[in-house]
Amino acid sequence: MKLAFQLAYRNLLGAGLRTWLNVGVLSFAFVIIIFYNGWIDGWNQQARRDSIAWQYGFGQLQVATFDPFDPFSITDAHAALPAEDDHLTPVLLRLGTLYPQGRTMSIVVKGIDVNQTVVDLPTSALTASKSDLPAIIGEQMALASHLKTGDEVLLRWRDIHGTFDAATVTIAGVFPNQVPGIDKGQIWVPLKKLQDMTLMPDEATYFIADANFQHTEIAGWKYRSQEDLLYEINNIIKMKKMGGSVMYLLLLAIALLAIFDTQVLSVFRRQKEIGTYISLGMTRQQVVGLFTVEGAMTSIFAAVLGALYGTPLLGWIAHTGIAVPMNSQDLGIPIADRMYPVFGLGLILATLMLVVISATIVSFLPSRKIAKMDPVQALKGKIQ
Amino acid sequence: MNSDYVISLRNVAKHYPIGDGRFTALQDINLDFSQGEFSGLVGPSGSGKTTLLNIIGSLDSPSEGTASVLGKNIATLSHKESAQLRNREIGFIFQVYNLLPVYTVFENVEFALLLQNRSEAERKKAVMDALEWVGLTHLADKKPSKLSGGEGQRVAIARAMVKRPSIVLADEPSANLDARNTHGILQTMKDLNRELKTTFLFSTHDEKVMQYLERIIHLDDGRIAQDEIVHAQSTPT
Ligand SMILES: Nc1ncnc2c1ncn2[C@@H]1O[C@H](COP(=O)(O)OP(=O)(O)OP(=O)(O)O)[C@@H](O)[C@H]1O
Ligand SMILES: [Mg+2]
Repeated sequence: MKLAFQLAYRNLLGAGLRTWLNVGVLSFAFVIIIFYNGWIDGWNQQARRDSIAWQYGFGQLQVATFDPFDPFSITDAHAALPAEDDHLTPVLLRLGTLYPQGRTMSIVVKGIDVNQTVVDLPTSALTASKSDLPAIIGEQMALASHLKTGDEVLLRWRDIHGTFDAATVTIAGVFPNQVPGIDKGQIWVPLKKLQDMTLMPDEATYFIADANFQHTEIAGWKYRSQEDLLYEINNIIKMKKMGGSVMYLLLLAIALLAIFDTQVLSVFRRQKEIGTYISLGMTRQQVVGLFTVEGAMTSIFAAVLGALYGTPLLGWIAHTGIAVPMNSQDLGIPIADRMYPVFGLGLILATLMLVVISATIVSFLPSRKIAKMDPVQALKGKIQ
Repeated sequence: MNSDYVISLRNVAKHYPIGDGRFTALQDINLDFSQGEFSGLVGPSGSGKTTLLNIIGSLDSPSEGTASVLGKNIATLSHKESAQLRNREIGFIFQVYNLLPVYTVFENVEFALLLQNRSEAERKKAVMDALEWVGLTHLADKKPSKLSGGEGQRVAIARAMVKRPSIVLADEPSANLDARNTHGILQTMKDLNRELKTTFLFSTHDEKVMQYLERIIHLDDGRIAQDEIVHAQSTPT
């Protein structure tokens, strides 16, 4: 085996340009695969981080009938906990209608404990406000409703009996964020206020848990752990990953095709050499091994070359980030204006394995022909 | 079969399938070679010289009869055993040299020893000795493409001899050489034959080569037409 590597190394260096073309293309595939996956991984980590910091906390205890993906489930999703828990921050959700500049906007009104610290929502703006019914909204909501800090807007809602009521809301702050789940189509008001407005004292739709919360079963409530809550994000990221893999697998396929082609050609063009190897005492299997190792080594060279230009390049990208041009909250998961790819060791090793193993396979397949070669014909260069 | 012989051929025949029938390249070949013989197969093109050398070198196998090399029946060897036989006991010299183009002269000569897993120091000494026999130590780092025809064939001789094989099979080694180089390499091989007791078997239709041979086997249409011991000139003019 060591010998095969030694000889393959000599042969590859000796083959010159063709080797370097293959190495170049493959190294490019290598870097692109790592770049793309690192980008998605970075996005994933940022999305998870932001979701936890702004929305999910360390888990949520929800009214059993509440379905975050079905706004109509909100109507009946309100209840009081049998006992208070210091590790839970209550949030009450109600459907409402906002009338900014004569337009009608269906929204979710979210009441949250103004003294909470479990999520990054700037609820202190609610305490600071002198207005009777202050509200904070996210950037996207501000954009959609054309509301800004200091604006007043009419809000209509139903109380616990289904009776309509209305009041003027004062926008106490617009907070920048990257989490659609706390921004689009919603306003945040003080919990106590919302409970009074709806005649639902002490009630909540869900509670956000802090790090020290211990969950025990409570009838009528369901607990969703942090991982549970992140499930959707994971899914979307997974889909993105698969979607992107088509692109880079195509690139990898092109690189592998180049290696395959080289091998097919080599087996034909290097028959005299193959015959010479055999006359010098190699078995045909050894020659198959040598040719296979040559292909595998091409991929190792590619990894080295990729590391040479990829490390500074990707390192720089990871450091400065990539500006995301689109207004990407439409995707439904958090996405920053500037994303920082994360290039983990696992990703690099997995890519290395993928590239080396696939290169070895495409090198081996054409080389098998050598095992059936007649050395006499090979020496004469007469194999078609 | 007499095991005193380095090479022993009994009723060897080689047929190739052609269309519905077959083409007979060799027939009724009975030959024995003792250690240290310096002999050659002579005959017109297509008479079967290369085919016979390839059978002896275990690159090919006879369709009929038995070919024994160093007491081993070629036909019954496994791939590994025949590779091993070629690696240790048989040196090939080809008409077109067949040097590995991407390797240096040194590496070309070293190749067989690499397969034997010999230590680097051992390899280096053996390679430099072999290059010295053929007078090419100064070209050790050159690539084959930089060599003249005579130098290329000398490298091929060094490569065949470096492992000190029992047998060297040289298939028309002078076909691409001028007279001066032909005499040069033949003299070198003759010296090695004397010094190391290596058995040499040539195929040739070159008169200059024949002058050196001690035994000439004439092949015609795949049969032995004549097998003669000749008085070789040790220093031909
Ligand atoms: N694989 C094959 N199939 C059919 N015929 C073959 C095959 N190999 C060799 N022959 C035939 O066998 C005969 C002997 O060939 P061989 O190469 O041994 O001749 P040779 O004496 O070495 O000739 P030359 O002096 O031209 O090298 C030739 O007629 C050749 O065409
Ligand atoms: Mg021939």
